[in-house]
Amino acid sequence: MRASRLTVFMYAGIIGVPVLFILMVAGLLLNNAYALDVISMLLLLALVLFGVSGIFEVYAHRRYPRSGNKAGNGEFIENKVQPKSRQGKEISVVLKRFNSTTKEFDRVTYKARVDDRTTVLGALLDIKDYQDNTVSVRCNCRMGICGSCGMVVNGKPMLACETSILSAVKNDSVEVAPMTGHPLLKDMVTDFADFFERHRSVEPTLYRKDAREKYAPTEEYKQSQEELDKFLPYSYCIMCGLCLDACPVVNSNPNFIGPQALSQVYRYHADSRDQRGKKRLFDVDTIDGAWGCEFSGSCSKACPKGVDPAAAIQMLKGDIMKLLPENGE
Amino acid sequence: MELLDYDVVVLGSGIAGLKAAIHASRSSRGSLRIAVVSKLHVMRSHSVAAEGGISGVLYPDANQDSQKLHAYDTIKGSDYLADQDAVEMLVKGAPEEIKFFDHIGVPWNRREKGMISQRAFGGMSVPRTAFAADKTGFFMMRSLYDELLSYKNVDLFNEHFATSLIREGDTIHGFVAFDLANRKIKAFRSKSLVIATGGASRVYHLTTNSYSNTGDGTAMAFRAGIPIKDMEFVQFHPTALIPSGILITEAARGEGGYLRNVHGDRFMENYAKSKMELAPRDIVSRAIISEIREGRGFKDHESGFGYVHLDLRHLDSKKIDERLPMIKEITMKMLGIDPGKAPIPVRPATHFTMGGIHTDIKGRVMKNRSHYMEGVWAAGECGCVSVHGSNRLGSNSLSQCSVWGRLTGEEAAANAQRKGKMPSGKFVALAEREEARVLDIAERKGHQNPYALRDSLYEVMDEHLYVFRTLSGMRFALKKITELRKKAGDMYIADKGTTYNTNLREAFEIVNLLDIAWIIAEGALRRHESRGAHVVKEYPKRDDKHWLKHTIAIKSLGRIRFEYLPVKIRGWQPEERKY
Repeated sequence: MRASRLTVFMYAGIIGVPVLFILMVAGLLLNNAYALDVISMLLLLALVLFGVSGIFEVYAHRRYPRSGNKAGNGEFIENKVQPKSRQGKEISVVLKRFNSTTKEFDRVTYKARVDDRTTVLGALLDIKDYQDNTVSVRCNCRMGICGSCGMVVNGKPMLACETSILSAVKNDSVEVAPMTGHPLLKDMVTDFADFFERHRSVEPTLYRKDAREKYAPTEEYKQSQEELDKFLPYSYCIMCGLCLDACPVVNSNPNFIGPQALSQVYRYHADSRDQRGKKRLFDVDTIDGAWGCEFSGSCSKACPKGVDPAAAIQMLKGDIMKLLPENGE
Repeated sequence: MELLDYDVVVLGSGIAGLKAAIHASRSSRGSLRIAVVSKLHVMRSHSVAAEGGISGVLYPDANQDSQKLHAYDTIKGSDYLADQDAVEMLVKGAPEEIKFFDHIGVPWNRREKGMISQRAFGGMSVPRTAFAADKTGFFMMRSLYDELLSYKNVDLFNEHFATSLIREGDTIHGFVAFDLANRKIKAFRSKSLVIATGGASRVYHLTTNSYSNTGDGTAMAFRAGIPIKDMEFVQFHPTALIPSGILITEAARGEGGYLRNVHGDRFMENYAKSKMELAPRDIVSRAIISEIREGRGFKDHESGFGYVHLDLRHLDSKKIDERLPMIKEITMKMLGIDPGKAPIPVRPATHFTMGGIHTDIKGRVMKNRSHYMEGVWAAGECGCVSVHGSNRLGSNSLSQCSVWGRLTGEEAAANAQRKGKMPSGKFVALAEREEARVLDIAERKGHQNPYALRDSLYEVMDEHLYVFRTLSGMRFALKKITELRKKAGDMYIADKGTTYNTNLREAFEIVNLLDIAWIIAEGALRRHESRGAHVVKEYPKRDDKHWLKHTIAIKSLGRIRFEYLPVKIRGWQPEERKY
């Protein structure tokens, strides 16, 4: 509004000043002193108004660009982010929230607008930001590589950030719960301390005898495509914990080291650069190590990155049989 | 409040942070107590999202490459704002880093005779980017994490959010953090502190970055009166997936992908004839936005975004599976698009913070233009040495994080060994004061919803401090940011719980974002030229006579004081930047 009113003043100035000037010249020619005085006063007034409105215009433009959505010059409007959740379909999202005080689950239903590109994580964060700030979710990269957002969606363990919510919706409703194979903290968030300790316990470090070369490297260790392919599939593990959540053995025998850690034993064991030798096999040649696995295959089904921990464990068992003498038949 | 004493504390757990911890431990032969403090699980930092690769001259003879050429490419890419001595250090250290990562287990793609394969990247004269498919950052992070687990003298603190550095005089003595699991306040006291908290791209709405990239370390340093350098230079990655902003690696173009507009034309021909799609990122981003603005882009009606096509259909499907598997995985899962069969919708999104904490060439944090701060280093994206100047070349960031991660780790360890005694003084009193402040913010009843403030910030940043900038737009943004900063003093944290309170953490992050936005907007408004990623409509030309210098922003008395520092030139004189 402010801008358009100023513009009226500007137009008045642009048209009025020359008209008055012409009138003044006419008055001069007619030699009418009275008319000349009146016209020159009007001209002065118009000039002052014109000047003041100009200053206002510059000032207003400096302080406030012409209009909020035109970004000062009207060029960047296409970049404007539209408010979320205006389009799409309305669904119910049932959150099985773990209450950290009562140690029980509260089932809370939220409404969310989603479309075919909304992920489960996207919907949860929308709920958190715009409906209930107290919802807690662990997430980071939202592109399936950091491993933060393992959850149970309609009973199936998966990464929330790479699951389309509409693909999981049944009867316009979807249930999201935390993983239960790990201790619970709050809402969708679980405690990973035990999971990390399992990983650490198998010494998952590329072992080299030439420590000096490791830290002051002179040349790369050569590796053929064939050697690479042996361990590459097992190096995709993002430590999301979904396999442990799915494993029926760990859930009944917590001493079993679990599919994630064992797959990483095989990952380093199969790497041609590793010089740990049979030590890695010795360490997992136990009833709670590789032999604890009952090959249900749940871990491999749950893995969002196509790592096949069940296969890795079978390979470990095979190598133990083959390479460790006391197991030889 | 719990007081924790460590010889060396590393704040942040990306590639730079983990490298610093490993090399601090290694160079002190395990004699120092070292802590890595991260607001995430240590292995989940944003470095895992790096896709395309790490630059470094591995085979000068076979690739007809040299460190000189790498340096020249980097300096030209930076639009001559990079400090040339720092660039020399980068290109010299990079090859060794790639081999180091080979030695700790990164599954590099290989070429004949088991050598490490290298691919073409934007602004690089020859292929010199080593890669492990398109998950390079992820593999580097996992290998570093697994390597770190073998160090018995390094303690990892997962999910601890730092709120403030403790400064006494000209020394940084550590910081205060709260444990996300139970909101307990812990004061980390250190002889040497390495800040490696990463970039601040989350100050924009459409970004390739993880949710965690809120510039916490940079903002804390700023509030502690430490100079912040060149923040107006924000990199926009040309090819981010819409509508999410997920990164589609530059390697997609390095492997031969085309950019096409609505007419199917390879429009880069009109912007960078010799390099085409492999021109530096600032140039490609501007080209895409120009195409969209001039009506030759596509429009996504649900999100309102304009976009162009990244076309990989002509690439061999085996090549995509071998070298770009994650791109395929992402487009299939997010949009149901097979890149071998349909083009990918992309547009520029915030990707990298060229600026950061002002450090010298060894990563030591500066107190002012010429003097050091005691006991503190900065490495990785949060530090500004500066090697990237006004525009970073793709794949130089992983080398930067590695080189300065190692260097700061070694320097911090040497300093801790020299120092001997833990600082005493007023540390505990200052930390207790910070504890009271944090608890007050958690408990008090304010009126502003932090997410509403964040959304208002997104709106001004995405609109006025984007690829093309105008004076009026930047002035508006600055005014709006000042308003938002005032409102942020009256925030209301709805979640009053003590267990995994993400609401509280995010409120602190949003305050950090507002501080970062303030530095970006005011620095940008003051730079009267167009250079690299900073382009102003009213000043369309680079101005070496007046602006071949770094912006230094220092907080003082509630305002920002700006100083300028000349660029270090070592033989490469500024020339016209054409591709």
